Amino acid sequence: MPLHDVGYRPWQGRRSGSLAAIFVIATTGLTLAWTSRWLRRAVFFAWSPALVFAGSFFVFEQAIDEGRLDSIRESARLGRNVDGVGILGRVIAGALGPVDDPADRHLGPEERANKARRMVWARLMLAFMRSPQAILLAIVVGLVAPTLVSRDLRVKAWLIYFTRPVGKFEYLAGKLLILGLLVASITMLPALSLWVAGVAVSPSLWVAVTTWDLPLRIIVASLALAIPTVLMALAYSSVTAESRIASFAWFATWAACWIAHTSLSTADMVRQVSDDSVASQPSVPGQFSVEEGAVPPRRANVPPRAPAEDLGETIVNFIEGLEGRGPGDGRRPNARSVRWFSRVTGVDATIDRWAWLSPYHALGVIQAWVFGIEHRWEAILPPLLSLGSVSVVSAVVLWWRVDAPARA
Amino acid sequence: MSPSGPVVESGVDFSGPGHPARMIGSPPVEAAVQATGVVKRYGQRTVLDRVSLTVKPGITGLVGPNGAGKSTLVKAILGLVRLAEGSVRVFGIDPHREPRAVRRFVGVVPEDECAVPGLSGVEMVRYAARLSGIPGIESLRRAHEVLDWCNAGQERYRPVETLSVGMRQKISFAAAIVHDPRLVILDEPTNGLDPIERRAMLGRLTTLAREHGKTILISTHVLPDVQAICDSVIVLAAGRVRLTGSIHALTHPPTPEERLEVAGPVDELVRRLVARGIPARRAHAADFFPTAAGSAARFSAAVGTMALEDGAQEGVVLLQLSTPDALAGMWAEISDLGIRVRSLTAACRPFEEVFLEALQAPPLESLHAAP
Repeated sequence: MPLHDVGYRPWQGRRSGSLAAIFVIATTGLTLAWTSRWLRRAVFFAWSPALVFAGSFFVFEQAIDEGRLDSIRESARLGRNVDGVGILGRVIAGALGPVDDPADRHLGPEERANKARRMVWARLMLAFMRSPQAILLAIVVGLVAPTLVSRDLRVKAWLIYFTRPVGKFEYLAGKLLILGLLVASITMLPALSLWVAGVAVSPSLWVAVTTWDLPLRIIVASLALAIPTVLMALAYSSVTAESRIASFAWFATWAACWIAHTSLSTADMVRQVSDDSVASQPSVPGQFSVEEGAVPPRRANVPPRAPAEDLGETIVNFIEGLEGRGPGDGRRPNARSVRWFSRVTGVDATIDRWAWLSPYHALGVIQAWVFGIEHRWEAILPPLLSLGSVSVVSAVVLWWRVDAPARA
Repeated sequence: MSPSGPVVESGVDFSGPGHPARMIGSPPVEAAVQATGVVKRYGQRTVLDRVSLTVKPGITGLVGPNGAGKSTLVKAILGLVRLAEGSVRVFGIDPHREPRAVRRFVGVVPEDECAVPGLSGVEMVRYAARLSGIPGIESLRRAHEVLDWCNAGQERYRPVETLSVGMRQKISFAAAIVHDPRLVILDEPTNGLDPIERRAMLGRLTTLAREHGKTILISTHVLPDVQAICDSVIVLAAGRVRLTGSIHALTHPPTPEERLEVAGPVDELVRRLVARGIPARRAHAADFFPTAAGSAARFSAAVGTMALEDGAQEGVVLLQLSTPDALAGMWAEISDLGIRVRSLTAACRPFEEVFLEALQAPPLESLHAAP
């Protein structure tokens, strides 16, 4: 008989409610997930982009503090590198607009700084959450989510839950909370930290008041990022007992949708450029090439441009037109990175008509809406409907599948 | 009779010592599980067909061949499946309407090994405790306490996926009882256990039922286990209840008899015992197999080496030793005739034979429906 064996004793304590099971499932799931070395690496790596963006906040606030906003704007407009990585220049140029913007004439220096700050901070946040964090989210969720339900199905661990006072709601909420906390740890928390860092490096703590809505927008943007992705990942996990199949389906969805979006957008662009080229210069056979750094953005409404000598030149001019510069002015930064920055920060204000097709791009549009950068319903609605449909279908599949073995 | 068939009580014998229901003046014992006319279909296949039964406190065996509907009945008790007809009540609560409330009272040891990979044995039991509502540190204390009682040893700190089958069975049992349930449902609880641990497990079940008033429902194919510890039994076959009642009533004759196995002049012994006023008779197959009379081969298998032919020197005598004088008279005749006694036991049939007969019998509803 074991030394500590006191026999079987009744237990008369007070039991916690069923909702406590959500917390229990989430904390246990997180603890188990955290034992993965790859997950720890991914989460650690997910915080590193925040350092780069923190540098941008610092440079911008220093410029305001030193009254160099106009000179920075001019530098950025001239394509000079402001923060060493080129992000801030594009953002400031887009945020401040033309030097002689009539709308700014009645504003004092303080108001102009505040207006610029709100726009710059929002765009930096959007860039941060959309570009590195959304991609890292796909990786982190892909590492954790596929096993969450499928493993329970494989090892019949569902019996542990559904023979206890745990319903489908508590089970799913617990699993969703695992992913939600992980997503928050790589999107919301770093973004909120960035906001705190921005306030800390700003000339006055009063900036926290003038940018009070940003933390809320960060939270909403994180939720917008988390809800469809987490539901979709768990739905994949629930339809198979093999985690690897769920994993493959998850990454394949992102990749396939991205490729589909890029293909259709590129096709649109080529057709657009061809039409323009034919219109301006009817016979340029065999001269088209999408050169490195010169891929024009996808665009439905193209501003009028001057006739070009060849199709390649037309494409470059096309980009410059989008960037607010005249064609052939001699300043040609790396157009691919320019376009990428412009798009992820919302400076590129064109409507991505295929965004609804790809989760990554659809989430970008929704986040731009949340941060107050995108306001056009024709741009917001298709991605919103797309992500909403994905979320609803995933939730239905989850609800139906999660206790299917118990009903069998 | 209800339209869905009669409610058959499992007939638990409450006369055993130490049973809480034996207390004089105690109120009527509440049925732990009451199923009435339960019908469950998967597509066109009817898995449970008008099953009506009552499980009262004590240990009840749920036996039946594979595919009899035992697992589905357990799922119905837990509210995991939607019934086509009928109803189930667990301590008066409808598990389909209030599954969480029912599962607070119930602990389940599933037949399939189920564990969360990555958790150690004690973490697994603690996880089960927390899911059942036992808070924080108390769940850890309780998990260790139950594991100690289950003799889990230091292996409790190893990941569950690395444990032996027997150890996993212990962990599963500990997880099922950690929240002190009123009803414990076990599916093949002695699977993978060595003989010593098997006996210990049966002892724990008996302790839970006798000393702590738990209702135990065991679904198993190990019929000797059923006979050893169960108070009552329910035999399911093809989704119908074929037999239900107390183990004692099913395996013992209505009047208490002793079974005397002897070598010597058996018929002469019987004659002398009757002359002394002791009710005695030579055993025949029909005494053991009333619904399968003449099954001599099974009879031989049941009683050992005895021969059935007249004049044989080995045989079994069934007699009633209701008084000390009768016992003394029996020994006197045995001594006088020079008979060698091989055994003297209470006359009972092996439950396995009862079970096999029950499978051939019509469903209980049919018996009750007959004029």
